[in-house]
Amino acid sequence: MRILAKEENGIVSVKAIISHPNESGSRKDESGNLVPAHFIKEGFVSLNGQPLLDLQFGASVSKDPFLQFKFTGKKGDRLSLRFTDSMSQEFSAEAAVI
Amino acid sequence: MPVVTTILLNNMKRRAFIEKSFLSAALLFLRPAGLIAAWNEKFFQQGSIEQAFLNVLGTKTPEKTNRITLTAPAVASDSSAVPVEIHTDIKADMLYLFVEKNLTPLVFSCSLHGGSIPWFGLNIKMKESSLLYGVVREGGKYYAASVHVDVLAQAC
Repeated sequence: MRILAKEENGIVSVKAIISHPNESGSRKDESGNLVPAHFIKEGFVSLNGQPLLDLQFGASVSKDPFLQFKFTGKKGDRLSLRFTDSMSQEFSAEAAVI
Repeated sequence: MPVVTTILLNNMKRRAFIEKSFLSAALLFLRPAGLIAAWNEKFFQQGSIEQAFLNVLGTKTPEKTNRITLTAPAVASDSSAVPVEIHTDIKADMLYLFVEKNLTPLVFSCSLHGGSIPWFGLNIKMKESSLLYGVVREGGKYYAASVHVDVLAQAC
């Protein structure tokens, strides 16, 4: 996962990319077989240990999900992101606001 | 002797109660702290946009508003990655994105806490040309705005 959190005039803009196939379960491969579903279902974002966002996702998020969000904050704030996919795999990362 | 038996029994009950309390407390801690609302199967069922609105919002007709900005390309050349942004000046505590013609119309739900700003961007897949609905919640009421996206090449 890559996170970029930049502060400007008290507003922090965050961009995050999770490397993930994010298969919807309704796509067929070259030989016409359905590719099994495997996608990010839940996300949790916290700021300095306090909850910021609770997310639930369906199957129609693109491959390598690219998320953007904003909050009021300052440089040095600690951002923590955690995601769980449909196969119960967890992905987490932390970043400091710059 | 019956008195002793009663005391013994009471002690056993108390012990069982304490053990149970500890067990439930431990279970509470085991739950990931952040995931307050677990993934809702019903929200992401296949069906019509009206059914999805009903399942997620509890109403088929969220109030239309021009206070939600939904940004998406009018024509998407790659339907496997359509950039969508939703933001609003409504003091929202929930954000939702729906794609009318997708198998499962709800794309995401986002619950806002603390200093978060009602602003969210995501790349999404679209099955075909469709209306997109951005929905927000304020004080238990739902507000919606929509935008149409034409899809050139199909990919889902």
